[in-house]
Amino acid sequence: MPQVKERPKPFLFPEFCKGCGRCISACPKHCIAMGEEVNPMTGLVPVVLDLEQCNGCALCIDACPEPYGLQPTPAEVADFELQDPEKLFGLRHTEAPAPVDIPDEWIPLPACEPLVIKGNYAAAIGALLAGCRHFFGYPITPSTEGAELMAKFLPKLGGTYLQAVSEVATVNHMYGCGGAGLRCMTFTSGPGFSLMVEGISYMIGAEVPGVFVNIMRGGPGLGNIAPEQSDIKLACRGLGHGNTHAVVLTPSTPQEMLDLTLLAFDLAFKYRNPVIVLGDGYLGQMTGKVKLPPKMLKPGLPSWAVYGDEMHRKNLISSIDLDEHDLELHNLDINRKYEAMKSEARADLFMCEDAETVFVACGTPSRMAKGAVEDLRKEGIKAGLFRPLTVWPFPLPQLLPLLPRAQRIVVVEASPGQLRDELLLALSQEGISKYPRIESVTHMGGILPQQHEIMAAALGRQEALQEVHA
Amino acid sequence: MSTTVFYDRFERHSHGQGLKGHATHYCPGCGHGLAHKFLAEAIDELGIQNRTVAISPVGCSVFLYYYFDVGNSQAAHGRAPAVAIGHKLANPESIVVSYQGDGDLASIGLAEIVSTAQLGVPITVIFVNNAIYGMTGGQMAPTTLMGMKTATSPHGRDIYMGKPMKMAELIAGLDGPIYVERVALFDAKQRNRAKKAILKGLKLQVEKRGFSFIEVLAECPTHLKMTPEETEKWVKEQMQPNFPLGVKKDLTPDPWFEPPKPSFEIDQLLKVVGASSDAPIRSAKGFPSHIAPHDIAIKLAGSGGDGAQTAAMLIARAGINEGFDATHIPSYGPESRGGTSYADVHVAETEVLNPAAPAPHILIAFNAPSLAKFGPAVKAGGTVLYDSSVIHEVPKVAAGVRVVGVPFAQIAVDLGKAMVKNIVALGALHAATGIFPKETFLTAIRLTLKDKCALIPLNEEAFAWGIKSVEEPAN
Repeated sequence: MPQVKERPKPFLFPEFCKGCGRCISACPKHCIAMGEEVNPMTGLVPVVLDLEQCNGCALCIDACPEPYGLQPTPAEVADFELQDPEKLFGLRHTEAPAPVDIPDEWIPLPACEPLVIKGNYAAAIGALLAGCRHFFGYPITPSTEGAELMAKFLPKLGGTYLQAVSEVATVNHMYGCGGAGLRCMTFTSGPGFSLMVEGISYMIGAEVPGVFVNIMRGGPGLGNIAPEQSDIKLACRGLGHGNTHAVVLTPSTPQEMLDLTLLAFDLAFKYRNPVIVLGDGYLGQMTGKVKLPPKMLKPGLPSWAVYGDEMHRKNLISSIDLDEHDLELHNLDINRKYEAMKSEARADLFMCEDAETVFVACGTPSRMAKGAVEDLRKEGIKAGLFRPLTVWPFPLPQLLPLLPRAQRIVVVEASPGQLRDELLLALSQEGISKYPRIESVTHMGGILPQQHEIMAAALGRQEALQEVHA
Repeated sequence: MSTTVFYDRFERHSHGQGLKGHATHYCPGCGHGLAHKFLAEAIDELGIQNRTVAISPVGCSVFLYYYFDVGNSQAAHGRAPAVAIGHKLANPESIVVSYQGDGDLASIGLAEIVSTAQLGVPITVIFVNNAIYGMTGGQMAPTTLMGMKTATSPHGRDIYMGKPMKMAELIAGLDGPIYVERVALFDAKQRNRAKKAILKGLKLQVEKRGFSFIEVLAECPTHLKMTPEETEKWVKEQMQPNFPLGVKKDLTPDPWFEPPKPSFEIDQLLKVVGASSDAPIRSAKGFPSHIAPHDIAIKLAGSGGDGAQTAAMLIARAGINEGFDATHIPSYGPESRGGTSYADVHVAETEVLNPAAPAPHILIAFNAPSLAKFGPAVKAGGTVLYDSSVIHEVPKVAAGVRVVGVPFAQIAVDLGKAMVKNIVALGALHAATGIFPKETFLTAIRLTLKDKCALIPLNEEAFAWGIKSVEEPAN
């Protein structure tokens, strides 16, 4: 960069002057005046300088709002060409190295005895094993045990627990922390999740990873704190404004709360996208046997992070794009990610090999259905349980082989039919019009479908049936 | 002064094509450009360009990231301080600047700015107050002056629209911030003060001392429909009396912000989550299939405080320690109201399928309503244990159900601690059903009380009394 003289006089590249005139009143020597000629490049009228009286006080430079407006005169100004400040002031290249990925490291864990813990605790421990050391949240029943456990554990692991002012702030803390390339999460429940979807849309747009554990409760509105599954629609179809999707995982045991939360972090960073873990109030409160995985993650730092250091200086986390073509291209990229995420569809099949009655259920209602399958088998009914572990993407590839043998599908859920809707939409999107009768066993308001109701449906007792599709 | 903190070409501004590569998107005379310059110069002077993360808000300065050659993050409307905290806590060595306008900070983002200021974590907030919504086209802002005409106060702001927000005073009134100043840009003297204030705000962050807030009264010639020169005068003569300039708060606490570094030590993690490689002592000879072939359902029912949930958890833990699967769910839904406390437990040889226990093999009832409600649901051949010190009437139960009354509460009271009645019940459960050996229960109790060792002898005694009162009911 050229040497700058002491007390240099101002220099102006007229193309970069908008003619606001703020420099005029700033100059004690009255060296600057409003111009009279329109600049052909800008259509604006730049100021004119007459520097005969100038004493180099630089007050005009301080008054100019433009970064490349009034400048101290460079040393070699005599022979500059009116082209480009890069040539004039010297082209600066950032010295920062190109950002590279600092890889994650999986560390083997010794074999441990199973823990006996609640589902919410298991999810929190899954997050710790996934390398999450930052938790942001706002207390809401029935998810709070997870947050409480993080508040207890994280300080002992050099981590950060921050109780946010609201769920709105929570998701934006996650936008910042995730944008810095770190693994962070929250626990919430329906009303809080509703508040977070604005920020989730921003995270998806800006490609920021983060994990949201939503322990669903009764709704709509304040509803109650009993278990429901009525946020499936919100998580699968309503993650805020714009073209949004995220992998939605549905554990049904405390063990899966751990395993799928661990997986959620993997997927969030693999796709640079939020991941939703949908539990229900029952599952969050359920104590069970939880085995630790064979390894835990020590996270690296992705190359795209805005970490606040030299290597990541050139990075930007942003969801705004004023150029229509650029934004369409960005959406096409996002769509390609959504397409790739479909390979993450997962399901657990229980006694489905020869099943004529296929139950479709996730979360705690799938446990009731599992019990029903076993008892129905004792009665000679060929029942099986198809249990999506992802409700978005819906695991249709795993379901399709069961359809030829299935005589009926019974969706068991604690929602008015949101899981059934995902099933129907998946079938329809795949262009499948031939499938068995789909029936439902549902409850809402905090009541879960009970095993005897599921059995009644399967055994054909019409009182427990709601016929949906023939 | 010149600075290298601005990009040499604004590639993000229409791909840096033509003049947009070197000119801002701001209108002529806009105060944002000056605030940007002073911020850039301060970053330069402190030598923190590599460490800086600038948070762009929503509003005219949404494109802050076009210009600053630092780490950039663009936030949702009003949420810049929350995003800033996310960045700061992720990397405490980063220098985080949250830059916001008046609609963003003083309207939609009030909760975020107030809570972040009170949190006091060292970040620097630059608040550009020009008394109007610029980006959306000149609507009334929270800082619009009384009587001022805007697109949404066409007849002038009146008392029904509320009065302008004095953010610097509000923020200075909190305990969290250490430095709050309101500055302006309308003449050379004020610009010099503005520069110094922004530099000071950043320096306090670099020194890890705390949260700083600089409110900058700025000009919006376009929406005030004035020339830039008139706008400077307007800010000086109209805005300034409403928003008095000067330092509102200035403390210099000792540097304090040194959060610990995340640990990924295995031993520490396992210790924290309570995992251990030590296998628990196993005492059972096999699954208690004399109760049910593969899966035993137990219901515990009482009032809050009876300890039904703890007893349920101990049964589940005992089962898992023996290598079986087990679950415990506290009851939910309407039946859990009114101080009642129900728990469903399953112990299965390999896997619990359905964790609910509507028709249990075993019922432990701590009060009469619980026994009346669930007693008839107990499976044929099952067992009912109830607290005979409070229950005097036994409902009709299914054929072959064994009903055993044990004075749980009375025994516990006699032992001097009413709360151990649930442990008395577990002793009774062991004696009446033989579900697990005595040692299995005692191991589970000892594991659960490992942090409260003093309580172990009392619990062991309660357990022994539970056994005794089943085996020798005459006592």
